[in-house]
Amino acid sequence: MLSTLQPPRSLSLRRFQTSKLIVSSASSSVTSPPQSQILTTRRSLLSGETTVSEIAKSYLSRIRLTEPQLKCFLHVSENVLKDAQEIDQRIAKGEELGPLAGVIIGVKDNICTQGMPSTAASRILEHYRPPFDATVIKKIKDLGGIVVGKTNMDEFGMGSTTEASAFQVTVNPWDLTRVPGGSSGGSAAAVAARQCMVSLGSDTGGSVRQPASFCGVVGLKPTYGRVSRFGLMAYASSLDVIGCFGSTVADAGMLLHAVSGYDRFDSTSSKQDVPEFQSQFLSVDHFESKPLKGVKVGIIRETLEDGVDSGVRSATQEAASHLEALGCILTEVSLPSFSLGLPAYYVIASSESSSNLSRYDGVRYGNQVMAEELNKLYECSRGEGFGGEVKMRILMGTYALSAGYYDAYYKRAQQVRTLIQKDFKAALEQNDILISPAAPSAAYKIGEKKDDPLAMYAGDIMTVNVNLAGLPAMVLPCGLVEGGPSGLPVGLQMIGAAFDEAKLLKVGHIFEQTLKGSSFVPPLLANIA
Amino acid sequence: MASRALLAVISASPNRCFISSSWIKIQSSSSSSSLSLHLQRHSRKIQLIGRSYSSETKSSEFQPPDVSSLAETARISLTPAEVEECETKIRRVIDWFGQLQQVDVNSVEPSIRAEMEGGNLREDAPETFENSESIRASIPSFEEAYLKVPKILNKE
Repeated sequence: MLSTLQPPRSLSLRRFQTSKLIVSSASSSVTSPPQSQILTTRRSLLSGETTVSEIAKSYLSRIRLTEPQLKCFLHVSENVLKDAQEIDQRIAKGEELGPLAGVIIGVKDNICTQGMPSTAASRILEHYRPPFDATVIKKIKDLGGIVVGKTNMDEFGMGSTTEASAFQVTVNPWDLTRVPGGSSGGSAAAVAARQCMVSLGSDTGGSVRQPASFCGVVGLKPTYGRVSRFGLMAYASSLDVIGCFGSTVADAGMLLHAVSGYDRFDSTSSKQDVPEFQSQFLSVDHFESKPLKGVKVGIIRETLEDGVDSGVRSATQEAASHLEALGCILTEVSLPSFSLGLPAYYVIASSESSSNLSRYDGVRYGNQVMAEELNKLYECSRGEGFGGEVKMRILMGTYALSAGYYDAYYKRAQQVRTLIQKDFKAALEQNDILISPAAPSAAYKIGEKKDDPLAMYAGDIMTVNVNLAGLPAMVLPCGLVEGGPSGLPVGLQMIGAAFDEAKLLKVGHIFEQTLKGSSFVPPLLANIA
Repeated sequence: MASRALLAVISASPNRCFISSSWIKIQSSSSSSSLSLHLQRHSRKIQLIGRSYSSETKSSEFQPPDVSSLAETARISLTPAEVEECETKIRRVIDWFGQLQQVDVNSVEPSIRAEMEGGNLREDAPETFENSESIRASIPSFEEAYLKVPKILNKE
């Protein structure tokens, strides 16, 4: 199947030779540390080595070439070259470059982009074009970033494979028979396939971190409140955050810095200072012999017990050994409430979704099914507009919030959330960061869990607790396990204290730059380059 | 398959494994509780990462989910086939939620979300949205300053 993705070699070389940026990343040797796409772009633009238009053309070419198989995008912007030319003109005039100048960015389709389709991969919003930009999009545009398109996802973020999109199934660039994870599967796969440099996703219970693990890229979920959610289509408001993908820790961190900060349009956004993350991204040449000396790392015992694939467990333990070799002090920690997070999460997420999705009524925007009576209009518009998983979660939430059941389900789940928050707080008082696998397994086959909701939900066990506690966490590739044409990536999850993303980025960057033996470039990309 | 092993719903069998943490109490399978679920006919043991929670009860005040009625409340039309499919799946998930009833949460305050500072509300003052034409363009049925909907009937 992979062979169908490979274009004639001469064609691919001719198409991509215009940009050294892309070729250099794809053809980097197995042992050289990965390079930041954002910093490399900036250097190339400042030196006049390339132009934003050239970069944009090469990414559009790559999308044209790979998209028929990967299906990462629901919409590719028709304004990419125009946006690129405008930035080139500003450069020609000697204007100062924004920190994201020329950076090609994919955006999950549940984030509103003015005038560009934003559907959350749902039929009920098919053809919907928002009248405004989400705050994160406005920030990206103000800093010179170029939105290349909208990425595929599980409808409204409800799923862990991207199979629950109403429009298409995205495949994993490492093995085209496997899922990319979800719900931000399109954003993760697009970065893995270098269809964009970085991307935005959203993470309600692991929807950035699990696909990052499956696709071998970095996924960063910020602290609840760090990034404005104005313009993010709400799924579960007490859990949702916008997160970042990159092929390096530095890229994910720089994108996070660009979109972070208080926003008066989101009362849940925080006024906490956003530190300058870039100082964390030292070159590997400047590392000391034990660059993480004294950093206390707690490995969560419950995440390495039965039910976790042996390959994933080994990769996590090897990652822990690597951190020790870098100077970290490793201890095992226990979170007694860990296993309760999964049912508590699904009660809370379903309940909040049943409330949040009531706005899709077919009256004010989105698809409408006309009927003779108003309630019928609502019912038919929603019945035809929502997919199976969305309907199921709304109905479960409706049940859990029914009169007389609220205390037993929603309130009780919120009490369990308190227990989870306390356990994390205690563990993070003793440790700088906590580590665990990002998911119990590497990417699995398309269709494997599609009809079994409990099997699908179980895959979220590593990530949901972090959302319940509102903490920041980052997943970065730490090893490969058997599977697919050349192995499947496995991600390591690092969890930090609230608003301490800087520490995660520092540890993650040093870990990534010193990890030997694995190159996290999907085989199809190496073949193209 | 890894995640199947993580969370397996298996037939009822004698309790065999309990959490040692002081704040979790596992109820006896023969006890009744005002917070117990409707699992008389569906005794289940839910196993999570090597730990088991008995959710078996003899009495319950909760009704199993009635999908047609829930769909009406949620204003979603379902085909008979969808009702049947949802019935099975939702029942399994609600059964699985039942393990939360076994956790002792006495004197635990609920958290509505992560801890965060308050006072971030903006002034409650009207502002003009410049792109209102675009909002109107998104409305499926619009007639001169009005959203158009079919007649509204009061249901007895």
